[in-house]
Amino acid sequence: MNQAKIEKLVSRLRYNVGSKPRKLKNVDGPEGRFRKIKKTLTAVIKYERIELNYARADETRGYVERLISEALRHGPEHGETMELANFWIKEKQLVHKLFKVLVPRYQNYTTSFTKLHNAPCIYPGYAYKRAILELKGNVYPTVEQSNPHQHNLLHNILLDAARKEYRMEKYKEIAANMNV
Amino acid sequence: MYQRCKSLCFASNLQSRYKSILSKIEAKERRNLLFEEEKKRQRTAVGRIEKIEVKYQSPVEEVTLIMNKCISTPMDCAKHISEGVSKVSAIAMVDGSPWDMNRPLLSNCELKLLNLLSPENKLVNTAFWRTCSFILGAVVDIAFKQDVTVHLHSFPVPVIKSGSFIYDVYLDLADWKPTDQEMRALSAQYVKLINKELPIERIEISESLALDMFQDNPIKMTQIPDIAKSNNNKIILYRIGDYIDISKGPMVGNSSLIGRCTIAAVHKIPEKENLYRFQGVALPKGIILNQYAYGLLENRARKFNNTSWSVFSEENNEVEDAKVFGRN
Repeated sequence: MNQAKIEKLVSRLRYNVGSKPRKLKNVDGPEGRFRKIKKTLTAVIKYERIELNYARADETRGYVERLISEALRHGPEHGETMELANFWIKEKQLVHKLFKVLVPRYQNYTTSFTKLHNAPCIYPGYAYKRAILELKGNVYPTVEQSNPHQHNLLHNILLDAARKEYRMEKYKEIAANMNV
Repeated sequence: MYQRCKSLCFASNLQSRYKSILSKIEAKERRNLLFEEEKKRQRTAVGRIEKIEVKYQSPVEEVTLIMNKCISTPMDCAKHISEGVSKVSAIAMVDGSPWDMNRPLLSNCELKLLNLLSPENKLVNTAFWRTCSFILGAVVDIAFKQDVTVHLHSFPVPVIKSGSFIYDVYLDLADWKPTDQEMRALSAQYVKLINKELPIERIEISESLALDMFQDNPIKMTQIPDIAKSNNNKIILYRIGDYIDISKGPMVGNSSLIGRCTIAAVHKIPEKENLYRFQGVALPKGIILNQYAYGLLENRARKFNNTSWSVFSEENNEVEDAKVFGRN
């Protein structure tokens, strides 16, 4: 059968898309779901880093990724892409940002364009998980904090030494067995 | 089980050998008294108070503090900077050389505070390990009943990679093999002492005063002249609570920096009469390790630690903190 390859029709997203779309329950039904996603998507493109409920962040992430990848593929001259951008982005000046700022930024990316972090629930908080959704390559300091002196931490030194000792014992054992 | 546990002294059980109890407690009291007097004397010897400038580079800005010469310590500076800094700082670097948190600053300097959770310099870890040995000495000193003669010997250079911190102690017990309960009891004592969150004080004294202070401990008495010879006739003392010991330092500023800890084993040192090596393992507060990984460390700490064994057999007295100041 002559079937078109799916990758040629739709750009492949570089993150794990969930198996089912979330309903994002609200009184307006599917229309309300669009409204919610539009609002969050616009905010992500505007502020480049936002904190919100995990489910909504994860759901919006796919739409942001898809929109940017379409913009990358077809550019502003492509009618359908422009229509798509006009539909999802609520503020018109951000459509310019999409094509003039984000497209050049992500031109050579081989990874996803967004990043989703788990955020802490601050006491007393609600039951919902929190998340931070950000566009990569933004100007803010990083969310993740790594310790540059990790190898100097005492427990790492101790565990390293313990591992070395264990290896040495094993080598000795092997050597002893070889002679016999 | 209970009978064995009783050989460790937890309560002031004053019935047996009343005389020796008093002499030991008296010796300790006297040592503390001398320590206090010497500290007071050194404080008054400062005389007119002069001011010094201490520069500190915080992650945000450069701070200049005006402090008192020969009185203010890095801990005082840290308290001015912030409460958080003063709680986590383990040792200070003054113009690039290690400095105890509770040792007065002598002149204008640049201050850097090191902590154990992001150790820029391995020196912090060594200081931590040394402090653990020192506190182990304090625990062993109070843990036994009064009818057991305990003379603290020394703790060798801290080697973290050997897997355990150690303290060598002379015990008047032939072939003592501690039971599991006794080891737990020792560990519990250790935790109790740490939880008091005591500051670790430092003082420099002359040889003659040191001999006067440690006259109840024949082993230390023989060590002191050698230590003084290698250190410009000065002996450096550290004190936690009411326990005083000789060490070249540096040590961390407060016992609250020690988190999880275990006294893992007691081994008899071969070819030495009644000399026992107490071994333990500890982690800084704030480092969280799962039980399995910590179990590995504990098991390793149970093996006999033969650190500085060759040095030990050759020159007995040099072992006592033969640590050179700026080493590693």
